Amino acid sequence: MRSSVSYILSTNTSEPNMSHPDYDQISHDHAALLILIKHIGSQLKPKIFTKFYDRIIKLNDVKITDSSGQVRTIFVRYIKEHPVENNDWGDFQTHRRLIGLISIGKYDSQVELNEVCRVHESLKVKYNSTLYDSRCILFGPLKEIDSPVDRSSGSEESDTKQECNIEKFVSPSNFKTRALYYDEVAPCADLENQIVEFINALFWVLESKRLERSREKLERVSLLFAPFEKKDFIGLDMESRQNKKRCTGRMTKHLGDLCLQAGLIAESLQYYTNAVEILKSVNDWLWLGGAYEGLSAASALVLYPNLQRNESFHRIGSLPEGSPKKAALETISVTTVSKKSISNLLAPDEISKRYREAIIHYSKYQNAGIVETEASFKAARIAVEQNHALQAASFLQNVVYINLTLSEQEKIQRFETLAHIYMQIGFHRKAAFCLRLAATRYVSPQNPNPNWSKCYLLMLQSLSGHKLLLDPIEMLEADQGWPTLQIQILQDLIIAAKRAGYSALATRHMTFLLQTMGPYLNTEQKELAIQLQSLSVQCEGSPVPLVLESGIVVPPANLTDIPLCTSFVLKDLKPHLRPRTIDKEKKDTGPFLFTPIHFGSLDRNKPKTDSKMDFLWVENEVSEITVKLVNPLPFEFKVSNMRLLTSGVVFESVPETVILAPDMAATVSLSGWARESGELEITGYSTHALGVKSNCRLKYMKNQFPAYYKVNVIPSLPILEVATSLPQSASFSNFHDDSIVTSASLSLYHGESTQCTITLKNTSQIPIEMLEVSINTILEASLQNEIFQVDQEEVSLILPLLPEQSASFTVKLYGAANFLALNSAVSPSIPFELNSGGFNSLTTSLPGTSSFSRVNSSIRSSHSGQSSLVGGLTSFVQSATSSSSIEAQLKIRYSGGPGFGSQHCRISTVFFVVDLIPSIHVTNWDVLPAEKNDQFYLVLDVENLTTQEMELQYAECKRMIIEGQESCRVPVPVERCPLSKLSDFYEEPSQSKKLAEINRICSEHISNLVKLNWILNATDSCGIASVKGITLNSRMLDIVRMSPLEWEVKINGDIFGTEEDLVCEAGDCMELQMSVANSLETSLKDLTLAIQFYQDYDNGTLNYRMDTRLAISGSTKKLLSLLEPKNMANHRCNVVFFSPGIYKVDIQCYTPDNNATTSLVSAGHVWRFTPPISIQVK
Amino acid sequence: MAVCAAIVGKDNSPKYFCCINPDEELSYQYKVLSSLDIIEERLNPANKNASESKELFLGHLYSLETCKLYGYVTNTKIKLIIVVNAMNLTLKDNDIRSMFQKIHSEYADMVSNPFYIPGEPITSKLFDSTIKGIITGTV
Amino acid sequence: MDDGTDILFDLLHFEIVNWTDRAHSEEKDKDKKDEDLSNLEYIGFSTGYRLIERLTKEMPRFKDELDTMKFICTDFWSAVYKKQIDNLKTNHNGVYVLQDNNFRFLSKMSNGKQYLEAAPKYVAFTCGIIRGSLSNLNIHCVVKAEVQSLPSCKFHIQIQRT
Repeated sequence: MRSSVSYILSTNTSEPNMSHPDYDQISHDHAALLILIKHIGSQLKPKIFTKFYDRIIKLNDVKITDSSGQVRTIFVRYIKEHPVENNDWGDFQTHRRLIGLISIGKYDSQVELNEVCRVHESLKVKYNSTLYDSRCILFGPLKEIDSPVDRSSGSEESDTKQECNIEKFVSPSNFKTRALYYDEVAPCADLENQIVEFINALFWVLESKRLERSREKLERVSLLFAPFEKKDFIGLDMESRQNKKRCTGRMTKHLGDLCLQAGLIAESLQYYTNAVEILKSVNDWLWLGGAYEGLSAASALVLYPNLQRNESFHRIGSLPEGSPKKAALETISVTTVSKKSISNLLAPDEISKRYREAIIHYSKYQNAGIVETEASFKAARIAVEQNHALQAASFLQNVVYINLTLSEQEKIQRFETLAHIYMQIGFHRKAAFCLRLAATRYVSPQNPNPNWSKCYLLMLQSLSGHKLLLDPIEMLEADQGWPTLQIQILQDLIIAAKRAGYSALATRHMTFLLQTMGPYLNTEQKELAIQLQSLSVQCEGSPVPLVLESGIVVPPANLTDIPLCTSFVLKDLKPHLRPRTIDKEKKDTGPFLFTPIHFGSLDRNKPKTDSKMDFLWVENEVSEITVKLVNPLPFEFKVSNMRLLTSGVVFESVPETVILAPDMAATVSLSGWARESGELEITGYSTHALGVKSNCRLKYMKNQFPAYYKVNVIPSLPILEVATSLPQSASFSNFHDDSIVTSASLSLYHGESTQCTITLKNTSQIPIEMLEVSINTILEASLQNEIFQVDQEEVSLILPLLPEQSASFTVKLYGAANFLALNSAVSPSIPFELNSGGFNSLTTSLPGTSSFSRVNSSIRSSHSGQSSLVGGLTSFVQSATSSSSIEAQLKIRYSGGPGFGSQHCRISTVFFVVDLIPSIHVTNWDVLPAEKNDQFYLVLDVENLTTQEMELQYAECKRMIIEGQESCRVPVPVERCPLSKLSDFYEEPSQSKKLAEINRICSEHISNLVKLNWILNATDSCGIASVKGITLNSRMLDIVRMSPLEWEVKINGDIFGTEEDLVCEAGDCMELQMSVANSLETSLKDLTLAIQFYQDYDNGTLNYRMDTRLAISGSTKKLLSLLEPKNMANHRCNVVFFSPGIYKVDIQCYTPDNNATTSLVSAGHVWRFTPPISIQVK
Repeated sequence: MAVCAAIVGKDNSPKYFCCINPDEELSYQYKVLSSLDIIEERLNPANKNASESKELFLGHLYSLETCKLYGYVTNTKIKLIIVVNAMNLTLKDNDIRSMFQKIHSEYADMVSNPFYIPGEPITSKLFDSTIKGIITGTV
Repeated sequence: MDDGTDILFDLLHFEIVNWTDRAHSEEKDKDKKDEDLSNLEYIGFSTGYRLIERLTKEMPRFKDELDTMKFICTDFWSAVYKKQIDNLKTNHNGVYVLQDNNFRFLSKMSNGKQYLEAAPKYVAFTCGIIRGSLSNLNIHCVVKAEVQSLPSCKFHIQIQRT
C-alpha cells in the first residue's frame, strides 16, 4: 500500500525526526488527553507506584458538563514515559502533546521532600511547551505536625483535606504545584476525586484553547507545521492562494483534533471533512493523511466505543469476517445524537479505506515514517475490531516496509507489537515469525546491550506458532508442524537458553529436541546427543517441571527412546517359587452363573495387549523384568540408575547400569522387591543417560507398549529346600512340570523294595504350616501306589516347620512288575486230554532265552488286558523280561505365614527316576493236582533274568538255586480255592463274564498265597515276586478250586484215600462203591456218573479197550436227574481183572452236552475224581 | 522463474519443498510457513470477501522485501505455494497460474503413484526434478 | 464408442469382487459377510481418495457441501460410470441419497430380483469410492448402498460432523 512515490516529497533526511514510535497507540487516543504519570525520587517503592498508577489509569473517561450544559466525555490516556521530542508533532496531531503531569513520590525528611519537589519542577520545565497543569502526589511520614501547606497557584483548599496524620514538611518555595499528601498505606479515598478534578482543570484549559482557535479568522491563521516541514516553507510566499488554503486546511484539521479531544465528535467530524476537501485541493498530502486519520479515528470512536488497547482477545475462526466482535454496538452515552444522525460519520469499511489512503500519503514522506507506522498499527487494530483479519494483516505487513532508523529496542517493540496483533487475528505462524525476529534483535550484533534472557523468553513464546508444545507428551498428539524449522527453532532456543545461563532449560530443550524430533533427525542425532551430553554436564536433566519467572512451566522431557526399548517382559518366578492357589472345596454356586457378555466394544480393532499378568509375584521376593534396549546412536553410552517405575503397592527397585554399544541391542534385567501385597502396576523405568534423568513411561515409548503391566503381589510365603538320600539323576526328563528342585535316581530289581529319605529345610523366616506330599506319575493309580508309598502320617508330624529347621520323611519304593510271561497265559498249546502227560505241553511252549532278544516285540501282546498291572502304560511294566524306567514326581506343596492366609502355597518337586531291572520271570505255568485233595501244585517255569546266581524260596522250606539266565521249574503247593469264595457264582446262571470273575478270584487266591522270595547272593539284593495276574483256563480252574461235588470212593468197603496204592490179584472181584455229594447251595440236574477203566502205557498212549482185560458187573453209568444240595448219590459196581497190569479208574461226573441251562456247571462240564485210582493187578 | 515451490498438506505440514538455492531453503521455509496464515484466512468459509472467488489460484499472498509469495489450493485442500523473487517483474499472474496448474497436475499424478501414500511427504526423485523444471520454466 | 476400455473396467471390477470373495471363503473362521466387503470397500476408498485429486483438478472451488455432492452426481459419476446420477435427495442435514436407476455394475446382471443377494458385493467398491472421494474433499461420511431391484441402486451418504 505504500506509495511508489515514497520519499519524493521529503528528501532531506537530516530533518528532525520523531524518533520514538508509540506502537501501543489506538485510534481512540486521538480523542484522549495525554497525561504522564511519573515516579519521582528514590524513596517510593515501585510496587506502591504501580498500585497507585493502576488506580489512576482506571479514570480514563470522565464526564464533564460544559458551559452550555452539555455533557462531554473526555478521554484520558496515561503514559509512564514521554520523549519530549514527541511533542514536536503536537501541531500535526494534538493528541501527541503531553498536557498533564502527575508525579508520585515519597519523602521521609525535609531534604527528601525538597528533592522530590525539585524533580517535579524540573519535569514541568521539560514539558513546559505543552503542559497545561500538573499534580504531585506525595507520601509523607506518619507524624502529626501542624505545618502550613504551601498553596501553589493559590487555588482551593482541597489539599488540606488530606488525612492529617501525614507529617508535612514545608515544600520549597519554588515548588509551585498542587501537592496531594497521602499515607501510602491508607485508603486515600479522595484520590480519584482529585484526579477527576485535575482532568477537569485540563479540560477547561483545552476547551479555552479550542475556543480561542475556533474564533480565529480562518483566513488569518498561521501555517501549522510538522516538525520536518519548517525548512520547506522558509522563504515561501505565505500569502499565495495556495498557501493560504494550506493554512486554512491545516487549521481546520487542527480544530478537528481539538474538538475530538474536547469531546465534540460531531464537530470534529465536520472539521475533518472540511479539512479533507481543502487539503486535497492543495495536494498537502501529509496533512490530508492526518485529516483522513482524524476522520477515521472519530468515526471509530463512535462505532467501536469499546475498542481497547492490547486486549488478549483471540479471534474465533468461525466468526464471519467483518462482523464486529462485540455483538452490540453501543453508542457513546455522551453523544446524545444517535450515530446515524452524525453527519460525516464514516461507515465501517470506509474507515479502513481512509486509513489506507492516509498511510499512502504518509508514506510519501520519509520523515513521517513513525506517523505512518503508528497509523498502520491503529488501522490494524480497527481491522481486528472489525474482524477483518486479512485487512489487519495487510496493515501489519505494511509496517515492515517502513524504513525507519530505530534503536534495536524499538525494533524489538515493533516486532512484539506485530506479533501481538497477528496473534489476535489468529495468524499464529506469522506471530511466531515476528517473535523470532524480535528475539534475534535482542542479541543482534548491532544491539549494544545484548539480552539473551529476553531473547530466550521471546523464542519460547514463538514455539506455539511453530506447533511446538513444551510438553513432549502433548507433542505426540499435536498436529504436525514443519520439522526442519522446528529443529532449527529448538536449536536456537537451546543456544539462547545456554547464553542466558539457563543451563537447566538448555538441557531440557535439548532433551525435548531429541525426544520429539527423533524421526526427523538423521545425522544430526549424533551431534545433538553429544551436545546434550556437554549441556548436561552444566546442569543435569531431571524429570521435574521447570518454572520460569514469568510463570511459564516447562514440563519434563524424558528420553524414552534413547535407548530404545524393544521388549519389556515381566518374568514369572522360578517354577518352584511360584505361588499357587490352594484348591478349596468349590462352593456350590447354584445353577445361576454370572457370565459377563462382552458386546462388540469399539476397541475391538485395537490389538489387545495383555497387560495383566497371569502369574503372581510374592511380597519381599525378588521380581524381575527383562528389558531389551537398543542404542540408536552411533557411539557407546552408559545408561545408569535404571529403575522400575511402578504404582500400586510399594516396590523397591534395584538400580542397574548398562553400557550400550553403538547400534546394538542389549538385554537388561531390572529387579526389585514388592514390599506389600496387592496390585502392582509397572509403568516403565527411569534412566540416566547422556546426563539426563528420564522417566520412561511405557505408554509414551515409540514401540507401542500397553500403558502398564499389572501383576498381583501376594503376601510372603516360606521357601523350602529339599534334598533326598538318593543320588541325583544324570538327566532330567521331559516332564512338563518344571517346579523340580532336585532329583533322585535308583535301580530296583523287580520285586525289590527300598526307601528314600526326603529332607526338608525351611530357609525362609516364615514357618511352614501346611505340607502336602503327593506322587505324580503317568502310571495307573494302583501301580503307582505299589511302587511309591509315602507315609502321610509321618509327613503331617513334620508341621510346623519353623524357620531354619529341617525335617525328613520317607518314601518307600518297590520294584513292581508283572512276573508272568504274557504270551503264555492260558496257552492254547496246553492239551486238554485227560491223560495229559504232566508238563510236556509246558516244555514245548517255553519261550526260552529268545525273549531277551525281542524285548520290544513283547508289546504285541500288550492289548490282551489280562493283567491288571498292564494298564494304560504297557511299556513300563508289561514284561518282566525287559528293563524299564519310571519317572515320577514327588510334589511337596507347602505354605505358611501370610501367604497361607491368602490361600497360596508353593510346590517343590522331587524328580524320581526308577530303573526297574528284571529279576525273575515266570515263563509258563500250569496246575497239577496235589497229593492232598485240598491242595494243588502250581507249577512254574521260573527264569532268572539276572546274570547272577539266585536263590529262590518258592515255598516254606523250599529253596532252589538258579544260575543267571537259567530257568527252572518249581512246583508250589497251594491251598485250593475254597468254594466259599466262589459260592456266589454257582447260584446264578453262567455267563462268560462270570467265568472271568471266577478266574480273577482264583487268580487272586493264588497270588495271595504264592510269594517267590528271591535273593541275589552276590549283591544281597532280595525281593519278592508274585504271580499276580495269573490266568487260568477252565481245566486249571477245576483243579484250583475245590470241587462242588464231594467224592467218596470205597473199595471193597474201605474208604479209598488218594495216597493209597491198590493191589489186587487177577480174578479177584473188587467192589467199587462211590458216592457224590453236592456241596453247593443249588441243586444239580441231569448229571451222569460214569466209571471208566483204562491203561496208561506212559508213552502218551491210553488204552480204553478193556473188554478182554476185565469185566464189570453193574452199570458203569448212572443218570442222576436231580441232586439236591447236601444230598448224596450212591453207585456201586464190581470189577474183576483178568490179567495183571496197572489199571486206572476214572470216575467222573458230567453234565449233558445239550443242556445249557445249568450254571457254572456248564454244559459238557466234567468233574473227575482225581487223581485217577490206580490199581496194580498181580 | 520462481525460486521456491512448496506443497503443504491438509494438516499444514510440508509434503514437499524445493528451493532452487538449497542454502536458502530454511529461510524460505519460514516465509512459506508464515503464508499459511493468509491462505487459511482466505479459505475461511466465513470470509465472504475471500470466498467469492472460486478459483483454485489464490493469487498473490504477501510480499517481503526480497520475494513475493503466491498461493493455490486444490479442492482437496492441498496448498501449493510458489515464491518469486521480488525483483522479477517478468512473471505475470497468468504465468504463475499456469505454473501452479502444472504442479497440481504433477501432484495428481503423484497421488496415482502406488508408492505414494497420500498425506506422506513426497520423496520421488522424478517428481522433484519435474517440479524444479516447472518453476525454472524449463518444462 | 465402446473401445473396450469401459468394459475392461467392468471386468476388472468383477474379478476383484470374485477375488476378495474367494480370499474370504478361504479363511472360513471369519464367516462374517461384512469382513470381505470391508476389503472391497477399502479398495474403493483408496481408489476414490486418489482419483478425486485428478477429477477436481479443473474444477472451481466448491462452495459448500451440496455443491460437492452435485459434483459427485454429475462430473464424478460420469467420469466413473459414464452416466449421471438420476436423482439426488437431501434432508439438508447431512444426509444425501443418490439414486442410479441403471447402475453400471449391476446393469449387465439382471433386471429384477434375480441375483439380488449377490448385489452387495457389487456395490461395496462404489461405496468406498464415494467415501474416499468425499474424505479427500474433507467431508467425512458413512456410505451405505441399497438395492431393491436390479439394476437400480441407492447410495445413502451420512455426513459425520465432528
